[in-house]
Amino acid sequence: MSDAAQDLYDLQIVERARNPRYAGDLPEANLSGEGRNPLCGDRTRLDIALQGYHISQIRHRTRGCALCTAAADMLAERLSGCSVEEAQAVGVRFSAALVTQDAIEQVESPPEGTPSLGVMQPLTAVRFHKARIRCVELPWVALKEALTHVRV
Amino acid sequence: MNTDKTLKTTPAATLDVQAVRAQFPILSETVHGRPFVFLDSGASAQKPAVVIDSMADAMRHQYANIHRGLYWMSERTSDAYEAVRGQVAAFLNAPSHEEIIFTRNSTEAINLVAHSLGSLMKPGQAVLISEMEHHANLIPWQMLRDRSGVELRVAPITDAGDLDMEAYGRQLEDGKVALVAMTHMSNVLGTITPARQIADMAHAAGALVLFDGSQAAVHHRTDVQVLGADFYTFTGHKLYGPTGIGVLWGRRALLEEMPPFLGGGDMISSVTFEKSTWANVPHKFEAGTPAIVETLGLGAAIRWVEVIGFDAIEAHEQALTAYALEKLADVPGLQVVGAPKQRGGVISFTMADVHPHDIATLLDRNGIAVRAGQHCAEPLMRRLGLHATTRASFGVYTSTQDIDALAETLVRIRDFFV
Ligand SMILES: Cc1ncc(COP(=O)(O)O)c(C=O)c1O
Repeated sequence: MSDAAQDLYDLQIVERARNPRYAGDLPEANLSGEGRNPLCGDRTRLDIALQGYHISQIRHRTRGCALCTAAADMLAERLSGCSVEEAQAVGVRFSAALVTQDAIEQVESPPEGTPSLGVMQPLTAVRFHKARIRCVELPWVALKEALTHVRV
Repeated sequence: MNTDKTLKTTPAATLDVQAVRAQFPILSETVHGRPFVFLDSGASAQKPAVVIDSMADAMRHQYANIHRGLYWMSERTSDAYEAVRGQVAAFLNAPSHEEIIFTRNSTEAINLVAHSLGSLMKPGQAVLISEMEHHANLIPWQMLRDRSGVELRVAPITDAGDLDMEAYGRQLEDGKVALVAMTHMSNVLGTITPARQIADMAHAAGALVLFDGSQAAVHHRTDVQVLGADFYTFTGHKLYGPTGIGVLWGRRALLEEMPPFLGGGDMISSVTFEKSTWANVPHKFEAGTPAIVETLGLGAAIRWVEVIGFDAIEAHEQALTAYALEKLADVPGLQVVGAPKQRGGVISFTMADVHPHDIATLLDRNGIAVRAGQHCAEPLMRRLGLHATTRASFGVYTSTQDIDALAETLVRIRDFFV
């Protein structure tokens, strides 16, 4: 595959899509949300176990492309153990990283006081593939739905 | 253009693909540093230079609003515009050019019928579509159903992707169906539907029939009289013409009975604040300034297609589709969707566990343009038990090299993922 594609289909992403670590059901979940992309029929559902304002566990069921599946799985890993507020801050930073045309160094070292993207970092390559941004945002749509009624 | 001459001397039913390609400026572009391999003609076809030039020439040399000005330039433009109506009538073998209505696209043509013919339908009557319709031939009928209480029926397809003719017959039995609205060629499965038989059965049951010819009109000669249609639609941009221009053909008696669709200038015969009367068909259905330049572009596109000839186009696309089916069969894990009795140049497929979006992005990085997703046919996808497919669709300029590039790259994509 060509270079730019390799960039997007980073091995970490492909590997993650092939063997997701956070896929499945979460019987103890007390929140859930779903994201759907009507253009392609992709769907991801998040189950969240919330204790107070802390996300103790997340599981997802994703029927989607490699980017969407990896994004859901990475979201689950990154946000496990976060407070709702932190989770939202990570989301804001992720969204910002998807629209910036800045060099990767700036994306990688966030301004002070903002949370790091951590394991989600490779997904930011999608910013050079506009048509695919919705794929990695879908799990975040599901998260937003899950957290609708949580007041911080 | 002297290239036209080269094409004319090509024997019927064979086509010099390289000579055709040379007429499409965009095909010499590169994408991501690679030759542009365009396999998405089913979504919209590329444009030959004669179409591009005809539109620019119109704006340079022969342009004014039509049917309004009393001056030379307006009259000439009106004549050119109306001449395309005649061309389209001949293209469809319509009995009269006055049965040709210009719309924005196929979608608008179908909406026109749903609105105008629909307003004459009554609760208790039904519209019958099929499971393989594009949303363009589904949503307007759902909207009609919801506003007027007309029933909407859906004729099933077989697992091979053909219309289930027995089930179709049963849907007609109670005589309630007022209109059958069906695709003449599926944009997902490539299925060419048995239009004549569909029409005969509809008529025997007292129903009218509309064919969505958006895909079909591109691949073979269309004769609305042989098909026995009452309405036929197509869209210019898939026929190597510009966007913004589509066609509705309808039998005159029906068009005369139907109320107008949109109101405004050009569609009236007299207007007072109390009451207005409508212009004759087709003008009754063409409110406001039409897409003049685009219509002229469509005329150039039809002229261009007719110089090549449908014998040659159809033979080329059939050979190419057979070649592609063979090539794709060799790609490990690839599954072609449907096996219709008659297929135009459209092939949808799935590939093992690789998602169509991932396939499309990786093909694109190699310069190859295909479509991935639900193809504006969500209910069909559900019927097929799929949520998305990748679709390659062919045009008159598609070459075996394009197919080879597709098949080879698919093999590499699969290796990359599996
Ligand atoms: C079968 C079919 N019907 C209708 C349409 C709609 O065409 P348009 O968008 O030009 O109205 C399309 C094209 O996408 C099509 O493939």
